[in-house]
Amino acid sequence: MVEETNNNLKARLKKFTFKALKATVKGVIFYVVYFVLWITFLAQAAAIFPGLQQMIETFVTVYIVLIILGELTSGTIYQFFFDAAKSLFMIGYLILSLNGGKLGIAVQNVNLVVDIRIFLTIVTLLSLLGLAKAILQAINFMSERAEYTQIQPVGA
Amino acid sequence: MRIPIRMISVATTIFWIFLIIFAITAVYSVKDLHFEFGEPQMSTNADNDVVLSLPIKIGNGGLYDMGPFRVTTIISDRNGSTITKGSTSVHVVRRGENVTATHNMTIDINGLIQGDHNYLTNDIELNFYVEVGLGVAEVIPVQVSTNLSVPWGAPFYNFTLGEPAYEAFNSTHARVTVSISFENHAFFDIAGAIQIKMYNNRGLLVGNGQTTVDTPQHSSYNGYIELYVSLTDMTPNGRLEVYFQTPPLNYGPLVFPYG
Repeated sequence: MVEETNNNLKARLKKFTFKALKATVKGVIFYVVYFVLWITFLAQAAAIFPGLQQMIETFVTVYIVLIILGELTSGTIYQFFFDAAKSLFMIGYLILSLNGGKLGIAVQNVNLVVDIRIFLTIVTLLSLLGLAKAILQAINFMSERAEYTQIQPVGA
Repeated sequence: MRIPIRMISVATTIFWIFLIIFAITAVYSVKDLHFEFGEPQMSTNADNDVVLSLPIKIGNGGLYDMGPFRVTTIISDRNGSTITKGSTSVHVVRRGENVTATHNMTIDINGLIQGDHNYLTNDIELNFYVEVGLGVAEVIPVQVSTNLSVPWGAPFYNFTLGEPAYEAFNSTHARVTVSISFENHAFFDIAGAIQIKMYNNRGLLVGNGQTTVDTPQHSSYNGYIELYVSLTDMTPNGRLEVYFQTPPLNYGPLVFPYG
């Protein structure tokens, strides 16, 4: 009995370690992508638009936290909650922080306005697609579980 | 249900990659966009309005077509009234192409001076609003605008008429000499005639004369006009009316009292 509990604990620990490792790898990959984008062109844009760096850093931090939480809770229904949260966060945060897609800056006497509403619309639509995917995955997860619990008593 | 979910995942990933690549390359394409402003040219049209032309050369070395490109300029006075407005647009600048557009601004000098003759003799600060718009990769509009203050140089700055100097000419007429001086601060040369009509204190025209002037921009003029006036109608005071016939500028009368 004790041996069985020990084996169970070991298996759980192994599973959790694997999840943590996977979450770390995903978080690192996302950070590397952000870092490359930052070096290539975001840094130049941040030099023009003050506050952009803080906005991007906040976004990346929250997004990586949601990625890690999603991975750590994989195999449970909460994984899909975090996936949905990621999509909703992306839509809400981008719309609010990008001022609805019209970025404006005034340097001395020069006003610069960049209209990225089309870009923001595409991002929103892709995030909605991600949200729909998370909902479908959650429904699929629940239905598979329901099938499993229905089959179990018959087989038992 | 797993297959549709997998397909959505694949499609979403492809779209995200495409969007990120597009965003990066579009921003980089702006770096390879070149603007060159040529020397402003001045000419007059059939209505005798001054047309200022500014050639703009646009070179698109980026990865995408750019457009529409639009330049709008508005010149207004201190009260905000629009003096002239010009707009130029290029529908699209294809990648690898060089396009030259000419931005024109038409100024009705006569109308301007008729509205406020201070423009004739005083240097004034005008508001100059410039707005440049460009569609990056034809889908991301970028707009830069600024307000500048530009000086208006008066064509007859510090225009001064001297007191009429009388000299007997014959038994019925006297020769009157009126000195004229001014500086041409305008962006155009002055070539034409200045006419003076002399009225006595009863409002009767007693004589007139004119002189030709040829004053390039940023130079001064000193001269005089001779008038022959009837001794019987001449009074110690009255008024002098000055008419400027110096295309593109035709204005008058500018009234000066004498005596």
